[in-house]
Amino acid sequence: MNRSYPRPRRRVALAGAVVAATALAVAGCTGGASSSTSSSGGGSSVLTIQGDAGDPTLTENFNPFATTQLGGTRLMYEPLEIPSSVDGTYTPFLATSQKFSDPTTLVYTLRDGVKWSDGQPFSGDDVVFTFDLLKKFPALDTTGVWTQLASVAGSGNTVTMTFKQPNVPFAATVSQVPIVPKHAWSSVADPTKYTNTKPVGTGPFTLKSFAPTEYILAKNTSYWQADKIVPTQVNYPAQSSNQSTNQLDVTSGKFDWSYNFLPNVQQTYVDRDKQHNTFWFPPGGTIGLYLNLTKPVYQDVNFRQGISQSLDRATIAKKAVNGYTDAASLSGLILPNLQKWLDPSLENQGVVKQDSSAATASFAKAGWTLQGGKLMKDGKQATMSIVMPTNFSDWVAAATEVKTELGKAGIDVTLDLPQFAQYQQEIGAGTFDAAIGGYGGSGNPYTDFNNALNSQFATAVNTPTVNNFERFKDPAVDQALATLAKATDMSQQQQATYALEQVMFTKVPIVLMYYGGSWGLFSTKNFTGWPSKDDPYTLPTPYNNAVLLVVTHLKKA
Amino acid sequence: MRYLLTRVGLFVLTLWAAVTLNFVLPRLMPGSPLDAALARLAASGQQVTNAQVRAIEAQLGSPHGSLLSQYGQYLSDIVHLRFGTSFTDPTQSVASAIGRALPWTLVLVGVTTIIAFVLGTLLGAFAGWRRGRRSDAVITTTATFFGAFPPFWFGLLLLFGLAFRLQWFPISGGFSEGATPNLSWSFLGDAATHSVLPGLTLAITTLSGWVFGMRNTMINTLGEDYVVFAEANGLRERTVALGYAARNALLPNVTAFGLSLGAVVGGSVLVEGVFGYPGVGQLLFKAVTNHDFPLMQALFLVITVSMLVTIFIVDLLYTRLDPRVRAEGGDAS
Repeated sequence: MNRSYPRPRRRVALAGAVVAATALAVAGCTGGASSSTSSSGGGSSVLTIQGDAGDPTLTENFNPFATTQLGGTRLMYEPLEIPSSVDGTYTPFLATSQKFSDPTTLVYTLRDGVKWSDGQPFSGDDVVFTFDLLKKFPALDTTGVWTQLASVAGSGNTVTMTFKQPNVPFAATVSQVPIVPKHAWSSVADPTKYTNTKPVGTGPFTLKSFAPTEYILAKNTSYWQADKIVPTQVNYPAQSSNQSTNQLDVTSGKFDWSYNFLPNVQQTYVDRDKQHNTFWFPPGGTIGLYLNLTKPVYQDVNFRQGISQSLDRATIAKKAVNGYTDAASLSGLILPNLQKWLDPSLENQGVVKQDSSAATASFAKAGWTLQGGKLMKDGKQATMSIVMPTNFSDWVAAATEVKTELGKAGIDVTLDLPQFAQYQQEIGAGTFDAAIGGYGGSGNPYTDFNNALNSQFATAVNTPTVNNFERFKDPAVDQALATLAKATDMSQQQQATYALEQVMFTKVPIVLMYYGGSWGLFSTKNFTGWPSKDDPYTLPTPYNNAVLLVVTHLKKA
Repeated sequence: MRYLLTRVGLFVLTLWAAVTLNFVLPRLMPGSPLDAALARLAASGQQVTNAQVRAIEAQLGSPHGSLLSQYGQYLSDIVHLRFGTSFTDPTQSVASAIGRALPWTLVLVGVTTIIAFVLGTLLGAFAGWRRGRRSDAVITTTATFFGAFPPFWFGLLLLFGLAFRLQWFPISGGFSEGATPNLSWSFLGDAATHSVLPGLTLAITTLSGWVFGMRNTMINTLGEDYVVFAEANGLRERTVALGYAARNALLPNVTAFGLSLGAVVGGSVLVEGVFGYPGVGQLLFKAVTNHDFPLMQALFLVITVSMLVTIFIVDLLYTRLDPRVRAEGGDAS
């Protein structure tokens, strides 16, 4: 259905999905023995990744700044550095190091001896050219680097980025801008409409062939770390936009790496080839209940606490995502990914258990009392209308459980299930009452907190925003965010992060519930070295820069 | 002649109404191309920032100007057959996107519609002739059974059984991965293998409509005096069945056939979706979910125009098939 690259199969409940799920479950029970492919020894050096949806067919576009770029583009262009989506640890690519000389000046040292795939040498000119290109064509600046940058200047093998105001965590965004060659791009008249069908990059792979249903990348033999690249070829077959068909493709063993939410993954995927099929479903974001803080009833922090204490998060996680992920920590950190930032003084790592007597006490502080099973104030029962997109089946399942649990607390909850566009409009404009939404997942605590809490995003109702939907405003929190943005050493950063965790925990700006998963399915038949619980170097998402991290980690099976 | 003029006048009027609706309806949908793009990002769990929104807004085409001026522009574009570029992928012209998808749908849905019509009508005529007998019971029961399946569900069953478990057919796509559409025998063979399951699904689930339509009118016709008279005259059974009864019973089915031929261009959204078939149905689904107005409008236009043209042709054909129409001025039953 959607075509720009990101094609993670969010658990979209098409009518057929349930059918396929049932069918798959049956397949798991009966099919394992007969149809699982046995290892024929050796294995192939061709890596097949479940990539872009072709509906009906793929459109060739390897412009690394286009929202419609094909996923393989990320294997042909490299950024300066890539922070892990798990905990933000940097892996250097075109830069060898980065350093803040002061909170507004970031200096990258560039790698020597890197060549573009057409043989020309890479230099700081290319980096400066790329950033200037984004400045000149704001449509290309999809991560908004020029909202923060004042200038970019090169000198020898260093490039210096000057920020408008201190924003140390923004290095993560700057580092990930794909660098394009000046000699090839300076003659492009309109790079916003450029499809770049003859890509010249520094990355580990080059374009070998493109067909409407599959494109193939071949190893770039002159890649600067070519000795670390094991696959000789990467195949990106177009995937179907139908989720059921996709799941059949995945379970039939077509891919080395795919990204899908599969119900009952042990039976439907692993058991089909026990020797090779593995999965890793780490938390990749947090799903929370957003309360519209422009409404008087939700402005009372005690009321929000009461709601938070009424929820049984473990059950909600079980209903929503088969229990693949856990109840969320209310610190606002995804655990265990960001464990090193966790304030040790938070009880039980910030996970709050259901406690109905504490909830009753909190509601009482806000002036609400339980009368005949109804939570009442001034003769009226508390009501809540929760909005979520109708096709996000996990969110709907979570909300249904929330409705039950808040119902027990005496609140009259209704669910509102519009199409995504309508949902987006309501939360963006702030006209919703309560909503299910995602929070965090950038791998960087500052980015997560800033997007959720910075009052600059808290626009008036009916003025759309894409962050801070709940419209949380607190000058002290803005101050804490600014402190964190300025901090360049680890202990300063930790202290500032702890302060924000306390805000998330005590003020409950968002009632966080459970972690949203990241659904990596791998086959070790041809390659090993996939990210896993024991080696969590990145989230298993093939649709972003994680693909470069994974490809440079793969070993021959 | 007057009949023809009335038909042409009606045709133009309906065309205008359809074209206008086609302009209005997509704009009544909640959301915008931008919201749809944000939905894709959100679905991938990506962080969305205001800066990103501005960049995406600039990359996507989006409607500008007042509704009235958009409408004027739209009408003039249609007259000049200018369909513009897609909103979701500004590097793609709408005409080329449709041009690539159309042949797949025309062949798949067209061929299966013809097969289902011919086969269904023959079976229906046979069942009607042998009404109340065993063969009638077998045909009607089987047709009811398969007709009761929703096509996408039947498609999933076939997919699971024949493609996933037995691996006789590919799971999805219109041709093998890595192939580029061309007219070589090997490619056509490959495409044919890929079209078996979707074709089978469409043919089997639509067959029952033709069977019942034909059987019922056939039974009606068999009660007519002229059939009884033909039988009484001792004409051969086959001559009566085919020459007198079936020929007259065929008329309503021909109308329906014309309509389904017109609908072929619209493809079959659900079945094409299940099989990942690169046809118009999938393209339409994609256009609607992405709020891609230019693509949607062009697709609906192609669909409505082909529908109207086939209706027009069927109307004209009727004057030949059934002289009563000409005399009474157009009551096409």
